[in-house]
Amino acid sequence: MATILETAADAGCFGTLLAAVDAAGLRNALEGTGPFTVLAPVDAAFAALPPSTVQTLVDNPPQLARILKYHVVSGARLQEELIRQPAWDSLEGAPIPIRCHEPFEVKNATVINANIVCDNGVVHVIDRVLLPG
Amino acid sequence: MISPSQHRWADVIHRLEAGGSMLPDSPNNLKQIIGIYKAYAVPMDFYWRDLLYIAEQVFLNPLPAFKYLLPQEYLDRPNSYAGPAGSPRIWRGEASAHPELLAFMAKGEMGAMPRLLHHLWHDRINMEFAEACMQAMFWHQGMGGRFNDYLDSEPYRANADRAIKAYFRRNPLMLGLYKLWPEMMLEKVKQLSYYANLGLFWEVMAPVFFEMSDLYDEGKLTSVPEAMDFLVNGIFAIAGRPIYHNVMIEGECFEIVPKSEGFTWLYEAALPYVEAVFYRTSPFRGTKSYNAQANQVPDQQADFHYGILYADLFPVGSAGIPPTLLMQDMVHFLPPYLKEDYSQHGRGESDVLIQLGVSFQRSMYNVTSAVIQALRAALLYPLDDTNPDHLKANRQFFEAQMDRFLRPEARLGEIQTAHYR
Repeated sequence: MATILETAADAGCFGTLLAAVDAAGLRNALEGTGPFTVLAPVDAAFAALPPSTVQTLVDNPPQLARILKYHVVSGARLQEELIRQPAWDSLEGAPIPIRCHEPFEVKNATVINANIVCDNGVVHVIDRVLLPG
Repeated sequence: MISPSQHRWADVIHRLEAGGSMLPDSPNNLKQIIGIYKAYAVPMDFYWRDLLYIAEQVFLNPLPAFKYLLPQEYLDRPNSYAGPAGSPRIWRGEASAHPELLAFMAKGEMGAMPRLLHHLWHDRINMEFAEACMQAMFWHQGMGGRFNDYLDSEPYRANADRAIKAYFRRNPLMLGLYKLWPEMMLEKVKQLSYYANLGLFWEVMAPVFFEMSDLYDEGKLTSVPEAMDFLVNGIFAIAGRPIYHNVMIEGECFEIVPKSEGFTWLYEAALPYVEAVFYRTSPFRGTKSYNAQANQVPDQQADFHYGILYADLFPVGSAGIPPTLLMQDMVHFLPPYLKEDYSQHGRGESDVLIQLGVSFQRSMYNVTSAVIQALRAALLYPLDDTNPDHLKANRQFFEAQMDRFLRPEARLGEIQTAHYR
């Protein structure tokens, strides 16, 4: 099996996310043993944000890291487990609400591909970038 | 796709759901809000520079008599979002202080005379208004974001302690006072961190408003929803800007709130600002007085409603956030088309401060609409979503926002009409 970042790289649709992980200096942490649950926005999700939103974050790594950590929950958690609670604390600190079970929706994002099991955790692919608040 | 809202402000909610603003779309509303954005941006160009000067350089000066006399270094300081080096470049103009601001600082209303005389005669930019906004943010606290929590943390106390001891290292009297009453000085440093917070917030808003004014003059901003959308895009573009507080002491930089804490413009500055200044602030003493014992002032800070969205505008220092100080600052920088508009309504020049105050109220309802739409986009669903459950969630959100305008003091009803001036 591959790690979370290797799996994302192989998929070919997470270029922005992987670049952001590097810019924020989170690569080492996400290559660790974890385990983590990563809600991974596809490239189209980042592209849908208004112009300059991503660039301002990339220019400021601590602020970018904060937004990225909002996409990570500690532990390897499959969909069946996630839907048992109304919300999960992210590594950023703010909770991520589970709004709908069928279709599976995390906050205002829809999970388009759930339960991708990796060496150091689980990836759920989402169609929007999550923002705390 | 979902049934009409039954809310008292249903018309406004339906307009928001259609991508509009709380302010109706009309050429005159657009003219008023853009003109006032420009008139606001010029003094704001002074406010943000001076707020950062006070936070970074004046710091704990026990006699800060000259804190409003901005040194050249801060007038030249490039705005991070204007000029060729702006990233992103929001305003196509220059990054140093605005030419109209410099012209006003040189002459004021009284004509050319030494800067100190302008200051003492109060013929100057009213920084007291900026400080009132800062104090509203400092006093209300706990309005979202993590800035305020950080000010109570051990790392912050340690950072502040280092800066206080360095600042007073040649002043045994102040160091002695610090030893006796450490909390007093720490509280002052916390307030200075809010100076930095608000300065960094307004450093963004000034070029946003200048650019909107230029686009309007070029005929490229043609409706109220377009003006709101420009603000929404601006909010997202700058959302991740760091909020921090650095102090310069004898050439050495002390990080009191480091950038590495990850505080952002949106969460730690913009949203607390809107809550503290647009909605809450505090009852001003003036022609309108309040009797707290008769429950005329709410006992919960969250219920305070003395901001611009509720203000009953009077010509002298009174209720609402744009007291005379801000109106007086803006009247110096009105674009010609707005001066002409005001001369044709009301009592012409003799009530121009009220007319521009009402325009300011309209313009801030539009800014608040942009914040509401930005929050909806960030936390909920697109307006053209096809899932009825998502549209219901958006509806609930808009209705909850409009609940804040159910109290009789809200001016949402007035700004729906053209004759409210």
